[in-house]
Amino acid sequence: MTIELPPHARERLKGLRSAAHPKGVFTSDFSVNEFLLVRKAGFEPIGLCVGSCVYHVGIQYTAWNRNQELAVLSDAMYKARELAISRMRAEAAAMGADGIVGVKLTIKRMEWDSKLLEFIAIGTGVVHGVGLKGFRAHDGGPFTSDLSGQDFWSLLHAGYRPVEMVMGSCVYHVAHRGVLASLGTVGRNVELENFTSAMYDAREIAIDRMQAEAAAAKAEGVVGVDIHEGNHAWQSHVIEFFAIGTAVLPLEQEIAPEKIPDPIMVLSVND
Amino acid sequence: MDNERQEELLFALRTDTAPKSTQRRLFKVRSGVLPWIATLTPAELLIIRSHGFRPISAVSATCWMHYGFSWTKGHEQGWHTALTRLQEEARAAGANAVLDVKMRTIPLHVEESMDFTLVGTAVYVEGLPSGNEPVVATVPALEFVKLLEADVVPTGIAVGAHFEWFYDWRGTADERWTYVNTEADQLSRLWERVRRTAHSNLRTNARDQGNGVLAHVNFSQMFEGEEGERKRYLARHIVIATTVDARPGAQFPHEVSIVVDMHAGKTPLTGTSRHRQSYEMNDEEGGI
Repeated sequence: MTIELPPHARERLKGLRSAAHPKGVFTSDFSVNEFLLVRKAGFEPIGLCVGSCVYHVGIQYTAWNRNQELAVLSDAMYKARELAISRMRAEAAAMGADGIVGVKLTIKRMEWDSKLLEFIAIGTGVVHGVGLKGFRAHDGGPFTSDLSGQDFWSLLHAGYRPVEMVMGSCVYHVAHRGVLASLGTVGRNVELENFTSAMYDAREIAIDRMQAEAAAAKAEGVVGVDIHEGNHAWQSHVIEFFAIGTAVLPLEQEIAPEKIPDPIMVLSVND
Repeated sequence: MDNERQEELLFALRTDTAPKSTQRRLFKVRSGVLPWIATLTPAELLIIRSHGFRPISAVSATCWMHYGFSWTKGHEQGWHTALTRLQEEARAAGANAVLDVKMRTIPLHVEESMDFTLVGTAVYVEGLPSGNEPVVATVPALEFVKLLEADVVPTGIAVGAHFEWFYDWRGTADERWTYVNTEADQLSRLWERVRRTAHSNLRTNARDQGNGVLAHVNFSQMFEGEEGERKRYLARHIVIATTVDARPGAQFPHEVSIVVDMHAGKTPLTGTSRHRQSYEMNDEEGGI
């Protein structure tokens, strides 16, 4: 593969690798299939990029009987993730990577203090091969994507390129029901409209924030969106809605839908 | 949430329409002002593009039920209300189908209640007859395309649920002191009645949505308790299905090759993401 590269590109690539890694060793957490497909897509892995952040989440008092966003917590959950991701990107930039694929974002609780959360972002930094350029985030830094190597290949073949991971978070307090309200519904199946509307409010806030980030990145769309609910050991009526996905733009020469080859149907005879 | 917003949401829930703020956002998406949102994987995006679909937005709906009367029956009502609301949101997005619909339950345990949540991707499918309700498919996008190619349209969700109490006044179902092999026939009969009724409810429920179902979830539980001196038993069964409208005898227009997958263990050929998580535990820590 490197034989076909123009001399300056080859030098650049060699420079990058030996600068970040003595003897030109690359590191990645790719599975074998991922590794093959990322290279098939025309990219070379150069190194694992890590960013982490241990964050102390502040306290917010809530009214027992109100549906409301807990802005202090939403802000903490967002900022901490943002810090972890930006540290990971800084590492990628220092390595000379054009982007990071297969980013995994995890949260861990510290055993001794329920208010301490550790946020970790880890992914594989990659560089362009032949005939590909301009894969960058909207700020000119390395692109980021939480898509696996296989998904990365498929995305390029669907006519899109990743721009950056976008996310939106909303931590919400769902109102408790009063005793009178509870008595009123004994023996009947009824919808708890207050709870339903809390879910609607919180989810809309999270999606709206993610979409605003995608718009700011000048993306055309967002793929692989996961809308996830979590309760990170908070009190029972507190919940986080978190939306995350990869913002994408069409490739410079977009593939027309009819040019996308039909997949071959197979039947696996494995059990 | 301020009162105005609360009023707006309650109005939407009571009139089965999408909330105003959601409608405004969806309008911006369908007119291209905001980026589209898809819960699809890139492989699914690839396949829907080549089949003339356009992703519009992730849509979702929730119905939070208090089951003061019956937990079992609550499921029927809960999923149906959520389904109607999801269709309304899809309509507001200018979509004629919702794919990749996942049935979810939010991990908040609140006194005697459960939420029924649907999350999916609203799309516009070229060539689908207009004027109908948006099609709701609780299968992944790849499977939706496979079904459409075979002239089968997934249409929605059907639920069959039934429960029954059995009071054992004479203590005849209690087999603890029997030392020979014997069928616990009263409990057998109880189970059979409950399951049969649930399945017959499923059939009735599916009839106005399509001409067949793919029943993916079968959930049943039996409890034993005391009522005064005697035992009582509660048996319940819930069956949930994706309804389809299939033309009998239609052929699948693809050659199928038989392959051996060299993966050890799980293979990506057969593994798709979980689509029905409401009847499993989901309290693990970890990812995002």
